[in-house]
Amino acid sequence: MPQSPPQRMAVFAMSEVVRASGLRKGYGSGERRVEVLRGIDLAVTEGEMVAVVGPSGVGKSTLLHLIGLLDRPDAGELLLFDDDASRLSVEERAHWRNRRIGFVFQFHALLPEFSLEENVAMPLLIAGRPRRAALEEARALVQMVGLEQRRDHYPDELSGGEQQRGAVARALVARPELLLADEPTGNLDATNAEGLFDLLQELHGSRSLTSVIVTHNEALASRCGRILRLTGAAVEETCSRI
Amino acid sequence: MVSVLTQVAGRYLLGLRRRTHVAAVSAISFGAMALGAMALVLTLSLLEGFQSTIRRQLAESGIHAELRPRVGRTLPAGDWLASLRARHPELEVRAVSGGAVWCLGTDGAVPAELEAVDTLSRVEVNRVLAARLAIGAGSELVIASPRLVLTPLGPMPLRRKVTVDAVGPVQPGDDRAVVRVPTSLGAALLQLGGARSVALRAHKPADAWRVASDVQNEIPDGVEVVSFAELNRPLLAALTLERVMIGFGVALVMVVAALNLLCNLALLAAEKRADVALLTALGLSPARVRRLFLLLGLGVGALGGLLGTLAGGVVAEILDRTRALPLPRGVFIVSHVPFRVTAGAVVAVLAVSLAAALLASLAPARAAAKRDPLEGLRYE
Repeated sequence: MPQSPPQRMAVFAMSEVVRASGLRKGYGSGERRVEVLRGIDLAVTEGEMVAVVGPSGVGKSTLLHLIGLLDRPDAGELLLFDDDASRLSVEERAHWRNRRIGFVFQFHALLPEFSLEENVAMPLLIAGRPRRAALEEARALVQMVGLEQRRDHYPDELSGGEQQRGAVARALVARPELLLADEPTGNLDATNAEGLFDLLQELHGSRSLTSVIVTHNEALASRCGRILRLTGAAVEETCSRI
Repeated sequence: MVSVLTQVAGRYLLGLRRRTHVAAVSAISFGAMALGAMALVLTLSLLEGFQSTIRRQLAESGIHAELRPRVGRTLPAGDWLASLRARHPELEVRAVSGGAVWCLGTDGAVPAELEAVDTLSRVEVNRVLAARLAIGAGSELVIASPRLVLTPLGPMPLRRKVTVDAVGPVQPGDDRAVVRVPTSLGAALLQLGGARSVALRAHKPADAWRVASDVQNEIPDGVEVVSFAELNRPLLAALTLERVMIGFGVALVMVVAALNLLCNLALLAAEKRADVALLTALGLSPARVRRLFLLLGLGVGALGGLLGTLAGGVVAEILDRTRALPLPRGVFIVSHVPFRVTAGAVVAVLAVSLAAALLASLAPARAAAKRDPLEGLRYE
């Protein structure tokens, strides 16, 4: 059955890309149930680069998955781009992930059967763009992340750092408004991690993005405009540079 | 425009140089579907080869339609038979009457059916009678009628000695001993009334199936037309049943291949769960994930079925043309195992392949679509 389009929530400012109120999420049932997020409130405004830090298991990735429409909260309200995310249909959520949100994950950066350029073009191909046009746009992004010479290589022919740069290019090829990165430097050495963060910062600025980056790396987190420290029950703002 | 699903499915199925396990799994499913399709095509071709041979022999040796009086009536008099002959020069029209006789050869006597045919001017025996009396063209034969005549030795059967002019064919499955004689001789041996039936036969055996419909509207009241199919209904029904049952049995091979495909698709879905999760995160909806796995299954089924059908068709043609499988003469009605590939069989096998692949893909596709993408993203 077709669902009505998401209602605009005019009570919030248009500049807020993400607003969560009382967000709760747990896994399991009965005595084995684990409450990961216990009433989180947060807001991310347009153009911000926010780092989410916290100890392992506190729910950083869970929060990112909720914001990225890969999961649904048990309770609470989540507004994305001023729309109530809970009202989105399955198809609409997929459409938003494809057009409005870019993802960078720690693992599974690229699809192994496809070349780097094809991987970068994948969101456009999913969106129904003709292959030739998608590859042309992907080529520009591959060039932007400094991998032009490697565009025909397959993931197993690329280093970890190159794969993650490719993943960043893929996340941005569809020109999303929101970039979500889940420990993008988790598998990289310090030099590569630094380089990838430089790239994220550069693209964040040049493409007018709103970015939420989950990381364990406090040094890299400190380069973001704002650091949100997650404790499970609350988000503490520990640093704000802007 | 090639959709992303086709590109992903195609890369999984064909561009697999980078993932040998997936390649092996897909190749096994592909091979199983191809072998199943090949076995089905060969079986259907073999059945069609034998059955078309039998049908051809039926048409070459027997009559193609029969005009009979309706129950309780006799064939009407008049010139309708002459008119029928005039209007259908492509048909041999024979008024037939007759009865039971004994035929005596040098080696003994056998009961036989005497058919008095108005267009016949010679004596013919069929192969059954010829074999039983060990006679052939030129042999002498005594036909003994049930009619009795008084002789100095008392009542004796009426007998006529004739020379056999030709030995005619028999229809497959027909073991009657038959002697065919001109009407005048038949009338002398038996008390014949009018013709009991009219046999129609096309000069071209291939036209056997349409003779009845060609004359249907030209016969007088009280006469019914029995078509070639009706005349041979038991045998043709048995052939059809044989084809359906054996085809169904061999089609079970496709079921086994489909089960193999189901298992391999489930394995593929498990192995690719991280990739599928990534595609989901990039915007592929669950419905499109389901379509991706249906496409994978149908791809294997269609390609495997197509290859198997082609291979089966080629092998069947080679076996038939080279007569590679000979049969002992005198035992079978053909000298070699015949194969005949028909368009119907090809379409049926392709349809069965696709249907089996589709059914086998449904469960893995549904499971892949329902899987939580976060499981795949957490999995390393």
